[in-house]
Amino acid sequence: MFKGEERVRAIKVGFIVPGLLYLMLMAVFPMIWSFSLSFQRWKAATASPRVFVGLRNFYTIFFEDPRFWNSLRFTVFYVLIVVVIELFLGLLLAYILNEKIRFRNFFRVVFLFPMAAPPIGIAFMWRMLLNPDAGIMVKIMNSLGINVVRWLTDAKLTPFVLMSVDIWEWTPFMFLGLLAAFQSLPVELYDAAQVDGASRFQTFRFITFPLLLPIVVTLLLLRAIDAFKLFELVFGITGGGPGSSTESLSYYIYTVGFQYFDLGYACSLSWIFLGIVLLISNFLLQRLRKEV
Amino acid sequence: MRPKKRVSGFLIFAWIFLLLFTFWTLFPFFWGVITSIKSPGEQYSTAFLPHFQFKPSSYAWQVVLGQAEGERTRQGLRNSILISSLSSLLVLFMGALAGYSLARFRFHRWKNKDIAVWILSNRMFPPIAVAIPFFLIMRTLRLLDTLPAIIMAHVVYNLPLAIWLMIDFFRELPEEIEEAALIDGCSSFQAFLRIALPLSLPGIVAVYILCFIFSWNEFLFVVTLSYRKTMTMPVIIAGALTVRGLDFWKVSALSLLAVTPPVILAALTSRYLIRGLTLGAVKE
Repeated sequence: MFKGEERVRAIKVGFIVPGLLYLMLMAVFPMIWSFSLSFQRWKAATASPRVFVGLRNFYTIFFEDPRFWNSLRFTVFYVLIVVVIELFLGLLLAYILNEKIRFRNFFRVVFLFPMAAPPIGIAFMWRMLLNPDAGIMVKIMNSLGINVVRWLTDAKLTPFVLMSVDIWEWTPFMFLGLLAAFQSLPVELYDAAQVDGASRFQTFRFITFPLLLPIVVTLLLLRAIDAFKLFELVFGITGGGPGSSTESLSYYIYTVGFQYFDLGYACSLSWIFLGIVLLISNFLLQRLRKEV
Repeated sequence: MRPKKRVSGFLIFAWIFLLLFTFWTLFPFFWGVITSIKSPGEQYSTAFLPHFQFKPSSYAWQVVLGQAEGERTRQGLRNSILISSLSSLLVLFMGALAGYSLARFRFHRWKNKDIAVWILSNRMFPPIAVAIPFFLIMRTLRLLDTLPAIIMAHVVYNLPLAIWLMIDFFRELPEEIEEAALIDGCSSFQAFLRIALPLSLPGIVAVYILCFIFSWNEFLFVVTLSYRKTMTMPVIIAGALTVRGLDFWKVSALSLLAVTPPVILAALTSRYLIRGLTLGAVKE
């Protein structure tokens, strides 16, 4: 760290001000506005005026809005399942590619594709693949004798279809994160384990796993926070349907805000959503803080 | 020779799994390419070998890029490129300055860590929570459906990550070089401009590309802030959904146009991509 004379001070403060100012103006201020709106009734689509309603919106959300609870339930369920499956598949892939496999770099690049592509593009590509009348996936499954035409019309199956696409899209994230972590592990420990005659499973259980645990937790939190914001896949593949079986929190708020233009209520919903996300993020931020 | 045999068993399993997973990962892209070179009459067929099973047709590309809808697509591409490159440039400018300040100087009233973590916490906000006040602000400023509105939104979206990563990149430079320059009579601004900045160029480029990809892929802000003139490629794909359903050939071609640039950029910077996506928790 440089020490503080006046001119240095000017740079220290002058450099950080534009960034902080921008965040204050464009991140903090909008959230304050949204907070004040969350205590108002403002249906912009109708002529009714803006009125202050106190905690009325929040009361409605908690006690009179089954659609909110439904979307919260779906989102939590979705996050739990995809994150766990992505972790296990990613772990398996990373474990395999950590061996002296040929073309490792080829695989590393190929698995980047799904997560680098725009999620909405992916959503539409899958929408076509899964199309009940003409999608290639349906045709393949049917030719194997499995009747799956109902998978986008059956409220019980559709959530799992969305999850499969998410797993397709984000397993690579777990895989690449874990592979990088694997490769940073000290080689000496493995040599020692081999000398001691440890089996493949023992080596993993007693050396790799404990060393990897912190990074696994960080990756899980990152992925969970991101998955919680699920929007594009719902928008592009199911539109929240059938019924409201795949309506994520983001999508519900989007519908309330930008289709019903019930802006006050949408802001109240946003703040509850924000609370939940910040609660999870807090764990992640604490972990990352140690590394600064 | 028992251990060796066990290893090869593992290898067989490993390769089968890898190949299956590669197939599963690449198949949707492959199918997109195939569908985009089919004529509309064949768009639903299962044929997948061009020339052998079906006659490749440039119909989809002619519609998407030519007379019929070419203007719209070109406008989308132009908007996407403008928004991504300009917003990332602004992010980089503010991000490099703030990152340098937090990496090299000590703040007293709030600790550096607290400032950095507060900045990053902005990244955790669900975009939809910010989208509503944003929409209202832009409406008040009469900026709806303009490029500045979307660029401003994408700058907030990417800035926390950029600052956070830049702190890391500047930290990795040895301070001694800049200190030596200061002793030689450089001002601290010159030390930043002539020494720290050029030395951290790989990191700066990586942050720029990362922000470019995120901005290119961003959907929610664009769909809520634009309705006609400023649509980017992702929103144009979504617009291809009509009441009649999806024209597979058209959506495939549009999706490929939107998917290819970020995928190529990501492949070129694969080392930094993971670092960026994990907020620096994983370094390669």
